[in-house]
Amino acid sequence: MIKTQSVGTRTHASQQKLTYPLRAHRGALLLGASGVLVVIGAVAATFGSVAIPLDTLAQMVIAQLPGAHIVATWTPTWETILFDIRLPRIVLAALVGGALATSGATYQGLLRNPLADPYLIGVSSGAGLGATIAIVFGVGAIPLLAFVGAMGATALIYALARAGGRTTPTTLILAGVALGAFLSAITSFLMFKNDSAFRTHQVIAWMMGSFALSSWQSVATMLPYLVVGWLIVYVNARVLNVLQLGDTQAQQLGVPVERVTMMLVAAASLITAAAVAVSGVIGFVGLIVPHAVRLVWGPDHRFLLPMSALLGATFLIIADTFARTLLAPSELPVGIITAFCGAPFFLYLLRQRKESLV
Amino acid sequence: MRKYFALTMLMAILVGLIACAPAPTPTPVPTATIAPTATAIPTATRALTPTPAPTATLAPTATPAAQTVTDDVGRTVTLKGVPQRIVSLAPSNTEVLYALGLGARVVGVTEFCDYPPEAKEKTKIGGFSKIDLERVVGLNPDLVLATNIHNKTVVPELEKRGITVVVVEPKNVNDVLNKITFVGKLTGATENAAKVTAQMQARIDAITSKVATAKAKPRVYYEIDKTFFTAGPGSFIDDMIVKAGGSNIAADAKTAYPQLTAEAIIAKDPEVILLGAMNYGETPDVVRARPGWANITAVKTGRLIPITDENVIARPGPRIVEGLELIARALYPDLFK
Repeated sequence: MIKTQSVGTRTHASQQKLTYPLRAHRGALLLGASGVLVVIGAVAATFGSVAIPLDTLAQMVIAQLPGAHIVATWTPTWETILFDIRLPRIVLAALVGGALATSGATYQGLLRNPLADPYLIGVSSGAGLGATIAIVFGVGAIPLLAFVGAMGATALIYALARAGGRTTPTTLILAGVALGAFLSAITSFLMFKNDSAFRTHQVIAWMMGSFALSSWQSVATMLPYLVVGWLIVYVNARVLNVLQLGDTQAQQLGVPVERVTMMLVAAASLITAAAVAVSGVIGFVGLIVPHAVRLVWGPDHRFLLPMSALLGATFLIIADTFARTLLAPSELPVGIITAFCGAPFFLYLLRQRKESLV
Repeated sequence: MRKYFALTMLMAILVGLIACAPAPTPTPVPTATIAPTATAIPTATRALTPTPAPTATLAPTATPAAQTVTDDVGRTVTLKGVPQRIVSLAPSNTEVLYALGLGARVVGVTEFCDYPPEAKEKTKIGGFSKIDLERVVGLNPDLVLATNIHNKTVVPELEKRGITVVVVEPKNVNDVLNKITFVGKLTGATENAAKVTAQMQARIDAITSKVATAKAKPRVYYEIDKTFFTAGPGSFIDDMIVKAGGSNIAADAKTAYPQLTAEAIIAKDPEVILLGAMNYGETPDVVRARPGWANITAVKTGRLIPITDENVIARPGPRIVEGLELIARALYPDLFK
């Protein structure tokens, strides 16, 4: 029984290989995805409280360039809205989407667990506690405390999961779930004790994620952390591939598993923490996008990581455009949209392919 | 060995938790605790604008007969006589009771009942949404004044224990006056209620007649918090803005408390911004420094008005006229000098 199954999987896997993109095609695919990202971003910028036609939008952008001579057919208000509010928001959504998808792909690969998402190892509960403290007690900035909470929780979980000088995926996940529950209990207690419906509401809104407060400042704040995290993860793409064979095999093949695990956990958490700090907890992107990429193009992390980042960015721009226009002039928490649109799409992909995940 | 140690620790923690938990005191004998609390007599002087001053004397208005009323959620309630032991489940209700001169009959209030100051001396029955049922029951009230948020939760529990509960939920500014009349009727304080509401009505009329002379209604953005939550149609604050002669920029929102997008605020270009989150650090300087906000008319003309005492706007009680005056002054500084 077991034998046939393993043989079956192997043949299946070798058949699959043919359907996956060849190396030469990968570059083209990534380039195409980048193009789609830019186009979607530009189209998203036309929607909003004032609709800016695409050609006007192009003129407005070109007019910003030095030496451009374009007679403004638009009001200063349009300029303010486009350059101070809408564009930073779109750029931030793209960065956060790319960040969450990358860290989700990393965790799924590292822990070899299909349910892994960017928040598995305590980032969301730590960030949630930090943000709640900031909101309920009115101390400090929400992004800063959320970031500190996220990184603190990850470090603590990593330390707790270490046993006999080793950290296995299972202990990491279990420690993450347990400490996450503990931190969430504190968060709930703080919310419960604070009777101000308004502040409780603020915490809940934050937990659902939002780009309401985006600015170039928030883009600049998160970018350095992202770049560092991304570099570490991409450099280790091949290592992530090897890790799929299991810790023991990887060790035998010369991968310093323990060191790599620590480095990747740190990098992925850094990426997630930076995203959470500027936008709250946005669910589903980090879980679904890497799986979707894997389902369509296969599990090679050298392709999976950049493609997930590009599609995560595109997906979150679209989701946020809905979030800010569906109920205009009000907005919806973007987390509602990501789950509402993302889950059915993912289920569709799942039905298309019936192979095991990860 | 280690396993047993861990188990023992766990047990110890559990035992400790049980020991620390407030012992479920058998409902205190009512008579013992009540009598002394009733001494706080509302002092007449008030620091700020003297809103309907709690008229100190309590004429023993004789309406001993039972009365049956319908409250704001449609419940029919029968009061056996004039209530003497009243518990208030909301700061607004507490303010109404004191304004009617019934402070001495109030036996329990929430932790948030801070006005008038003497209300703080009363027995606390918990927070606003989280009521300690045992305490309410233990106070042996003959009337509990609740609000709509208690309707599905606390009200049935109190009813089960045979306690008379009336839900008071004003819908707008005018309705606050109706509710004061209503509570006056419940408590036999009809004369005081008439006095209080007449004073309030006079102040409201003064505002509406003044703002009626204005040519254009200024566009107003009321900021509840820094993530641009505001008060939309159907909310109390919206009603106050309209009454004070303003035009709420969130009038076309779909919910009572919508979160606006930053670009919608900029596009609607408010002429006055009321900063409800002032006490949470959203000062005029902070608002002015927000990217893209410099071109908003209110920012250019410096009409960023901090709301330092949100309670006069947020609480549908007798001080609502102060809140209304505050907004009207912010919208029409020339008319209210």
